[in-house]
Amino acid sequence: MRSTALAVVALVGLVAGACGGSGDGVQSGEESGGLSATYDGVGEGGTLYVLTNSEGASTLDPQRVYTGAELGAWGSTFTRTLTSYKPVAGKDGTSLVADMATDLGTASDDLKTWSFTLRDGVTWEDGSEVTCADVAYGVSRTFGSEVTAFDGPQYAVSYLDIPEGDYDTGSAYPGPWLATEEEQALFDEAVSCDGKTITFKLAVPVADFAYTVSLLAFAPVPEAQDTADQYALKPFSNGPFKIESYEEGKELVLVRNENWNKDSDEVRSPKVDKIVWQFGLDETVIDERMLADAGDDKNAIVYGGILPENLQTVFGDDTLKDRRTDGFDGFVTYTMINVKTVSCLEVRQALWLAIDREALRTAAGGPFTGEFASSFVAPLLTTDYEPAKLVEGLNPDGTPNLEAAIAKMEEAKEKCPEVYAKATEDGLRFDHPDTDTWKKYMAIWIDSLGAAGIKIVDNPIEGSKYYATINGDQGDLMRAGWAADWANASTVIPELFGQGGGFNYHNNEEDAAFADFQAKVDEAKLETDRGAQAKLWKELNQYVIDQVWSIPGSATKAQNLVGSNVRGAYNWLPFGWYNLGDLGLAG
Amino acid sequence: MLLPMSGTGGDTMNESVRGDVVAEGMSPFRLGLARVRGNRAAVVAFWVVMFFVFVAIFAPVLVKIFNIDPYALDREAINDFGLPAGPMGGISWDHPLGVEPGTGRDILGRLMYGARISLLVGAIGTILTTVVGVTLGMIAGLRRGFIDSLISRLGDVTLAFPSLLLIIALANPMTQRLESLGVPSGNTARITYIMTVLTLFGWVYMARLVRGQVLSLREREFVEAARSFGAGTGHLVFKQLLPNLWPQIIVFVSLSLPGFVALEATLSFLGVGLLAPAASWGIMLGDSVRYYRAAPTYLFIPGVTLMALVLAFNLLGDGLRDAFDPRSDRQQL
Repeated sequence: MRSTALAVVALVGLVAGACGGSGDGVQSGEESGGLSATYDGVGEGGTLYVLTNSEGASTLDPQRVYTGAELGAWGSTFTRTLTSYKPVAGKDGTSLVADMATDLGTASDDLKTWSFTLRDGVTWEDGSEVTCADVAYGVSRTFGSEVTAFDGPQYAVSYLDIPEGDYDTGSAYPGPWLATEEEQALFDEAVSCDGKTITFKLAVPVADFAYTVSLLAFAPVPEAQDTADQYALKPFSNGPFKIESYEEGKELVLVRNENWNKDSDEVRSPKVDKIVWQFGLDETVIDERMLADAGDDKNAIVYGGILPENLQTVFGDDTLKDRRTDGFDGFVTYTMINVKTVSCLEVRQALWLAIDREALRTAAGGPFTGEFASSFVAPLLTTDYEPAKLVEGLNPDGTPNLEAAIAKMEEAKEKCPEVYAKATEDGLRFDHPDTDTWKKYMAIWIDSLGAAGIKIVDNPIEGSKYYATINGDQGDLMRAGWAADWANASTVIPELFGQGGGFNYHNNEEDAAFADFQAKVDEAKLETDRGAQAKLWKELNQYVIDQVWSIPGSATKAQNLVGSNVRGAYNWLPFGWYNLGDLGLAG
Repeated sequence: MLLPMSGTGGDTMNESVRGDVVAEGMSPFRLGLARVRGNRAAVVAFWVVMFFVFVAIFAPVLVKIFNIDPYALDREAINDFGLPAGPMGGISWDHPLGVEPGTGRDILGRLMYGARISLLVGAIGTILTTVVGVTLGMIAGLRRGFIDSLISRLGDVTLAFPSLLLIIALANPMTQRLESLGVPSGNTARITYIMTVLTLFGWVYMARLVRGQVLSLREREFVEAARSFGAGTGHLVFKQLLPNLWPQIIVFVSLSLPGFVALEATLSFLGVGLLAPAASWGIMLGDSVRYYRAAPTYLFIPGVTLMALVLAFNLLGDGLRDAFDPRSDRQQL
């Protein structure tokens, strides 16, 4: 999943370093949140507050959500899906459970047909039943790019057995709003209903499709309630909470949905009566309020984390032990290299060897912000994660190895004089979001690469337009961060480096090494044995690292502070945030 | 009554006059200067301004002398959180005003280099707006009629623009356009853009002032006299009118310069600034706001410095206005 607008600033900024450093006696390490992560002394009712700096939700529309924390937040409150994740802390939280469906689905032998049966008693906020047609209609909305604008994951488009066509999505089906009868028939052929059973026909075998349908993009939407682009402001609820009011820049109020049928839901156990999101608050003010812990702020959580400059205060004060958390958030940040313009492996290796990752990590806020990534797959994906063998000569403490970098540049001078000249004379253009913090990161890039004779041309891009801009015009180096969509590296390696990958800006198709890579990616995607598949992902990850198509930055961590009355604030691993709907207040 | 003005604007008489006020026979310019010298606040402000100008001009030498490099990263000066190590924002012998959180770059050095940018933008912005404003105001006042209306309405329209919004919104596209027109890319293009827009939006006040003065001066006897001797426009402008406009222009310039300095900081603060690793007071202020709890000196020092410079310019400007403004003649003489 993409990082949030917030995360573009907060996370994409980071390149982290080795673990274990200490500043003024404060250690970075996993912290679960103590008392606040448990349900000890939790009561029923009350109002929970969510304080955030963002101006609003990126979207409430289930087919358009693609931000980790929001997927978890909306999923646990007002959007139920066929399957979802187990609401527990720790690794167990990444295991899949049946939600609206009776089980985790039934696949045909070739893994190209998947069917799910809806439970009895799953209802909408008006009391009407959630039907199979509602699910099918919801899925069809992903195709309507004139409304959904490619905001959400595109797995429905890439997996479902619908012919390719001329619409923006590359499909022959334009979504429910524009489809002619014949076009609608194409979709109905791929997603069909038989009573309470919905069947998906896929164009390719997908072994982990049960995980795919846990994405809100596969959530139901009742056709009668669909208001197209307006649906993002007030989606219809089938979960324990419904939207009372939503005003961007101000607040989002979620209240209990009386028509949610507890017996039909084995996943959610809501405790509070009301959840109020307060938008547009100043970040520094949020931290001050959380530290003060007064009045309603005792019942508050924060969306967006602790500012790096306040980490010393928060983690240096042991009276906050029961209210603070520190853990991986599932993201890996990295610097994409435009393989077309930097077509010289030695130059790419020199970049990696020369960059002072330790300084970048310190500028971001130190070891708390993350650990050096040695894989594009986050450590949370335990099955697929394996630290890769990094470029030879790389210092494990993150400091640059200037000698090795200069030696690589000397090699490059012989082997690829054109790229060498570009890197040393014209300079490599570095695209990044335009923030104050990034001005410092750039100073470090310019300084440490300059020491190896590589010139960097600073190219700041307005934060909100960053991804849209590099989608059209790639620099030589670009900043990004990514987290898996579900617990399988199939949502990482092919997306970031494969042909047509949703987030592949490396222009690596022309690299001599690409054909082999892509063949193996295709093989891994079709591998049904999970162990064998994991082995392939690990090899592919090593392959990318050997080719240095991208420089891994850090496996990032997030720190949070909750109000003293909040209970159940554990880090829900699939989303890297709390299980919002299950949060409670001390009674 | 106004002092009789010499038609030549020359100051050949009474070379010996200095210090306190001996009004008779002095040119308005000298008379004003004499009064400024008597204004203690203005004199102090003048030396403060001179100090900043000196620091800005000799910043590269000064940082060598004090051994502070504004661009050098100092990992030793910051702790593992990236915050300045030690009390008071890392103030030490190596870093007299502390270090920037995150990178450990020296704040004093960055302030010195930031002063270059601030004063450069301030000076060039003021010169450009003055040249454009005086020229257009002079044309409007002399020609009158249609051209006067045209320039005056153009001024009204310019003032009606929400200029700050426009400057921010157009920053990126216009900078790229400038680069494609051959302006060296990077900070040169960015500074050129800022200068250009500041001039485009800033000329009006000066033009109005000059136009008004010209309208009144052109009817005066000495101008009539020069005209009756057959003086051409060039003579009228350069020998008759301009010398009598200098006091107003100097006052205006001294008051608009701090405005430009503050505006540059504002624009940098809002993100329409320079590229890394250049130093600018606005960028420092924008960044430092986040650290007010962890490193308060980092917010305090650039803030006070900017305030000191703007205040000094304003006091100097006030002193000049008191000295050169005709109305104050009646009060002081």
